[in-house]
This record gives sequence, structure tokens and C-alpha cells, in this order.
Amino acid sequence: MENKAPQQRRDSATPREAIRIENVTKRFGAQLAVDDVSLEIQQGEFFSLLGPSGCGKTTTLRMLAGFEVPTEGRIMLEGEPVEDVPPYKRDVNMVFQSYALFEHLDIADNVAFGLKRRKVPKDEISRRVTEALELVNLSERSSARANELSGGQKQRVALARALVNRPKVLLLDEPLGALDLKLRRQMQVELKAIQREVGITFVYVTHDQEEALSMSDRIAVMNAGRVAQCGPPEEVYEHPSEEFVAGFIGISNLISATAEDGGQVRIANGLRLPVPLPDGVAPGDPVNLSVRPEKIAVDELEPGMVSLEGTIVSRVYLGVSTQITVSLGDGANLVALEQATYRARADDRWEPGTKITLGWHPEHCLVLR
Amino acid sequence: MSPSAFDKPRFLRVFSFLVYLFLFVPILVVILFSFNTIKSLNVFHGWSLQWYQEFLDDPSLRESLFASLEIAFATMVVSTVIGTALAIGLVRSRAGWAPGANILMLVPLVVPEIVTGISALLIFSQIGIALSIWTVIIAHITFSISYVTIVVRARMAAISQEVEEAAMDLGATRWQSVRLVLVPALWPSVVAAALLVFAFSFDDFVLSFFTTGEDLQPLPVRIWSAIRFGLSPTINAIGTLMMVVSLTAIAIAVVLPRLFGRRESGLKVLTAGEG
Repeated sequence: MENKAPQQRRDSATPREAIRIENVTKRFGAQLAVDDVSLEIQQGEFFSLLGPSGCGKTTTLRMLAGFEVPTEGRIMLEGEPVEDVPPYKRDVNMVFQSYALFEHLDIADNVAFGLKRRKVPKDEISRRVTEALELVNLSERSSARANELSGGQKQRVALARALVNRPKVLLLDEPLGALDLKLRRQMQVELKAIQREVGITFVYVTHDQEEALSMSDRIAVMNAGRVAQCGPPEEVYEHPSEEFVAGFIGISNLISATAEDGGQVRIANGLRLPVPLPDGVAPGDPVNLSVRPEKIAVDELEPGMVSLEGTIVSRVYLGVSTQITVSLGDGANLVALEQATYRARADDRWEPGTKITLGWHPEHCLVLR
Repeated sequence: MSPSAFDKPRFLRVFSFLVYLFLFVPILVVILFSFNTIKSLNVFHGWSLQWYQEFLDDPSLRESLFASLEIAFATMVVSTVIGTALAIGLVRSRAGWAPGANILMLVPLVVPEIVTGISALLIFSQIGIALSIWTVIIAHITFSISYVTIVVRARMAAISQEVEEAAMDLGATRWQSVRLVLVPALWPSVVAAALLVFAFSFDDFVLSFFTTGEDLQPLPVRIWSAIRFGLSPTINAIGTLMMVVSLTAIAIAVVLPRLFGRRESGLKVLTAGEG
């Protein structure tokens, strides 16, 4: 693939906008699928739409592709309004969840399909198809039929078929959803490497939070047709803007509490904890605390940590870590992860019923309203 | 009981043999007696082609054979085009009436053919269309569309809408996506449906009987008229020839997709994957 032009775009000092979604709403009859969504996606960015099924992420992607027309709002592709442009005239390409390969054509003809529609000269088609198949490591299979390939290979063909057109934006609709876990991990790494190589903007729809975190430059977490939070993976994970985001990405460990004076909250069992209280929270306001399981220390507390007593309810051995659920009394349960490191301690200490001490640094406790 | 008796029950083999015997003996008898040297329909005397000769020498029978071939061909072409379009539309339609329309497609298959025949006759006489080979073709088409739609629809339902969307995403207009992606994917089922309809139309009697004119009759109707004046072994010869035509249609449905390198033959489509 020729990647010079997009690379230059990527390296330029001011990032340019690939896609701007302005106040887009989509209704199917009475059902509100996408509710006043606004997003800006920069050129060369790996952007993920993350959310549970029915959150509107796929509908948003389909509006970018042109398969759905927004009920309200605008969609700009590199500054041009495209919401009324049909898919075949839009300079974007899509990788479908079901791969959607053309089974009556061989692999090379599948990849060449888009170039042929655009009347690209024959010798250029064959050169670009060869390059695209090399990019996805499928050069030897160019004369195979779609139904002779494995799931992972089909996925690569679908990717090559879209990328060969050098679209302004590549849309991916849960492309790895049908693959088994090991292959999915491998394809995640490859996809990210290919994206870096070609420099094309990727808009990636997934419900898999780990996938979104590991691959994306930025993530928009969607819920019930809205964008709940949009930001880099670290920000979305470490500083979720609301309960939904905290709960959807990772285990949120919510504890309900009441705000008090002096940067403290009081939890149900009466214990007062120091927390970073955000502005605008008045004493007496109900808040939710969230502590990520991996931020919780069990028994071996460091200086400066808050300290809570609890009883182990259950223990799940996960290989690299052990997940324990601790009851604080009054119905509040917290999940803690103990990594199986070189200094891992004897397992028998985590038997259900054991009384233990939990702790965390106050700054690791998020306050959600 | 030994384990092998469970694996290979002899009873099943015997039973299967009897079923096939029951199915094929009448057909084999017709074929055998079509080559008989004498006029008897129950004693086989020796081999000859005289009944075929007699059939070909009879101009009215010959006319009827060609009439039947024309009817079957016209029915096949028209009902395949309409039925395929209908199948695509019914599967892809988001309209609320589409499921109802799907069920309505089954009605022509379950309505007794004699009812269809009589109602076709009534309609033609009501609006004053003289019965002819054309009224037979119209009646056959209306009846055959359902078959085509049902066969093609089964295949259509197995094709993800994403395939058409992928074609459009890659620069194909809606019409191009149908022509370049959908039709090639549907093709085996379209061929199978067309030849099935051809075979049905070619040997249809009831519908033809009610809708044909006096002078030029389709072959099955012509045979029926002939039998009223006594059975002749010519009937066996005609029956054998009709069987050859129908079997050829089915054979083409099986072989043609294979010749074009498709994994799936028309037989597989007809028998829902068991072929």
C-alpha cells in the first residue's frame, strides 16, 4: 500500500478533522436509536465506539457508511456534508461483522471489486490487489474461494477489500466478534499495526471494552443512543464521567456514600473515608464511590491508604490473578484482584469467611454523582 | 443381539428396497412396454420402436408435444423472472405486510389444482378471452410463480443483507449490487426453480385441461382424449418421452451449476441441502 500521503497528513502539526458528527439523531419509527450525538474524529485516528448492544453504536457507524440517513443533524467527511450521499458515492469503506465476502468470486476478485467499480486501469488494479493481499498476509490464497478460508482469513480479506480503495475513513463493525479469543487477540495486534502502516482513519465499533482499550486512540462510550464519555482509553478507564461508563469498562465496585465536610464521605457502615471530592458536591449530597479492583490492596496496606475491614465472600481463581469478593457489611461488596506475581502469597488466606483488611490510596477512589 | 445388527439393521435395507420397488415398478413397466412389439399392455413380446414411430407419424400428437414444450418454456421464463423478483422483494422488504405476503405465497400450492383450474376457466370466460395455448400459459404462470418464489426465497434468506451492502459500500449502485452480487449468489436456486417449473408445466394435466382450447391441446390433455378411444401402447412411448424431457430438465439443474464451478448443485437447492 502506498502510505506516504496519509502519513504526511498524520504527521502534520495541526490534526485535521476526518469526520464531524453534528447533533445527529436517528429514529426508526418510534424507537430512538441515536440521540443527539456529536463527535469529531481526527485524520489518522483509531477511534472506537464502545457500548452494549442496542446503544446506537452500529447505527452511528451505518450512518457514516450511508446505509442509514440521519433523522436530524449533519455528518461531515473531511469538511463536506455527506448525510445524503449514497454509500456507493461516499469515500468510506466498511468491514462487516459477517465479513460479507462475495462467495461467487475468488479472493483477488473480492478485493478488486471496489477498484473495478471505479474503473481503475487493469494493471493498477492487479498491482493494488497484490499489495493489499500482502498487507494482510494472504498473497498465497488469492485464487481461493471465500468458503475455503478460515474465519480469520475471511476477516483479512474483508479488510483488504476495504483498504485497497484507500478510503478517507475505514469503518469496522465488530470485525473480530466471530473469532475465538486467541485469534481475536492476534488480530487486534495486527489490525493496529496495519492501521499505523496505512495511516487511514479507523472508526471501530465494539462491545468489548478490552478491545477498545487496547487498540484505540480515543473511545466514545455509548449508552441508550447517547455518547456517555469520549476520550483516550486511560481517561475513560481512570476517570469515568458517570456510573454507566465506570460499570461498562471494567468492574466498577460501586459503594453508595454521603458527602461530608473536609473532603470526606461517609459510607453505609458509618466509616468516613477521605476522597477527592469534585467541585459542586455539597455536604449531604448522595454520591457513589468507585474503586477499580486492581487498585485495592488486601491485608498488606501501604502508608497513606484508607483502611476497611471486610469478610471474603467468594474467590475466583483466574490464573494470572485471583478475584476475591469482599463484603463490607450492609450489603456493600467490593471486588479485589490479586495478581499472581513472584511475591504471591499462599492461596489459603483467601478462603471465604476470612476477615481481611482492604485499603486504597484516596486518589484512586472516584466519586461519581 | 450383536452390536453389528444394531449398526446395519437388515430390516431397513429390505424396507428401503420395497419402497423403491413400489416407486419405480410402474415407471419401469411403462418404459418396458413402450418398446413392445405387440399391442398388448400386459404381455411383453419383444423389442421394437414401432410405438415411437407411430407417435411421431401422428401430426396431431406431434403438434401437442410442441405445444406442451412451448407452454413449459414460456411458463419457465416468465414465472422465473417474476418469482425471483418477488422472492428478493419479500425477503428484503421492511414493510409490515411482507410476512403476510409470504404466507399468501403458499396458497396456490395448497389450493386443489381443480379449484385453480375451474376459477381460471371462469375468469377467462367472464372477461371474454377465448381459450387457447395462451390461456394455458397464463394459468401455468400464475401457478408457477409460487414455486419459483419459494425455492429462490429459501436461498435469498440465507444471503446476508450485508453482502449487498458491501457491494454498495464498494461503489456498486443498488442495481449493480443486485446484478453483480445477488444474482450470482442466487443463481443455482434460480436455475433449479426454472427447471422445476418447466417440468411441472410440461406434464400438468388438470390446469391445462380447464384452460386449453379445442384445436391445439397440450400433450397430457391430448393423451387423455386419446385414451377415451382405447389404450394404445403409443401412450407408453409418449409417457417415456415425457419422462425423458422432465428428467433432462432436472439433470440440467443438477449439472449446470457444477459446470460453472459452483459447489452447490441445483439438486442440493431442491432438496434443501440433502442432495
